[in-house]
Amino acid sequence: MKVDDAVPNEFSYPGLGEIFITNTRKFINKVLSWGRANSLWPLTFGTSCCAIEMMVYGATKVDADRLGNLFIGDSPRQADMIFVSGTITKKMARRLLTVYQQMPAPKYVVAVGACNISGGLFWDSYNVIDGIDRIMPVDVYIPGCPPRPEQFLDAVKVLQKLINENKTRGGVYGPREI
Amino acid sequence: MDLERFRERFGDKVKIDKNILTLADKKDLIRVVKFVSKYFDVLYMLIVVHRPPKFELNYIFSRYQDQEIIQIKVEISDKENIASISNVFKSAEWEEREAYDMFGIVFRDHPDLRRILLPEDWPGHPMRKDFVVTEEIKHWTGLDLKF
Repeated sequence: MKVDDAVPNEFSYPGLGEIFITNTRKFINKVLSWGRANSLWPLTFGTSCCAIEMMVYGATKVDADRLGNLFIGDSPRQADMIFVSGTITKKMARRLLTVYQQMPAPKYVVAVGACNISGGLFWDSYNVIDGIDRIMPVDVYIPGCPPRPEQFLDAVKVLQKLINENKTRGGVYGPREI
Repeated sequence: MDLERFRERFGDKVKIDKNILTLADKKDLIRVVKFVSKYFDVLYMLIVVHRPPKFELNYIFSRYQDQEIIQIKVEISDKENIASISNVFKSAEWEEREAYDMFGIVFRDHPDLRRILLPEDWPGHPMRKDFVVTEEIKHWTGLDLKF
């Protein structure tokens, strides 16, 4: 009898299968967000000087590829995130939104530079969108005019962290209303 | 380029000062520009200045063989319209569209007078002196978004 007691109960002992069954959704979400965080293909939307820094970020010295941030297909259909780098005028806002809407659902936005955060130099202008967070949900902001290429690296690190913690604003199913 | 030709041709309709021709009447514009087009190839730029209640239009012409420049200056009231010179100089088409966009000057007989820089449904003409950048205009996006 004593020997039987020593044998652990199969059902109370948390086996691998039980963890899978009880935490399936959690587990799959973890795997998905791990995959999403480590293969962020950016769409480069460069309209002015911040785009030059974005090119340096993609080049060899500050290597974007080591984070899985591959500058491959410059098409909205294949992109997971968008670097909005440069001043967005009111005419360009509609084009930006069209591009944004073409991206498949788990999509993340990085606002690069002062112009995209608050309007920057052109905060008082009649023709510049003062902050692109007024037209689309932004996950990460990169301050600077223009920012250093290393800051892009940091921003992607932050975005990966946000994706892993499931805190992005676009979310898995995209923004609520757009 | 001797400016005596202009003096012979137009008399006192044009006031000549160095290479600036000031027109007394805007109706002479097309005739003067046609005469200019015999000697000059390029419409270099069209500069509009708003001095209420008048618009000052400066057409600057240039040519390829040397560095000569000639400027035609016309003044109109800011409620009037003016003839388009796009029949004579084709590149005036876009310059005039920009002037229409920024100042709201209507050019008669223009083939395609639309806005060129701002969105089509943008309210107002921003370079006019009486234009005020209000909060409403600053935050205008032209998009129906609920954010």
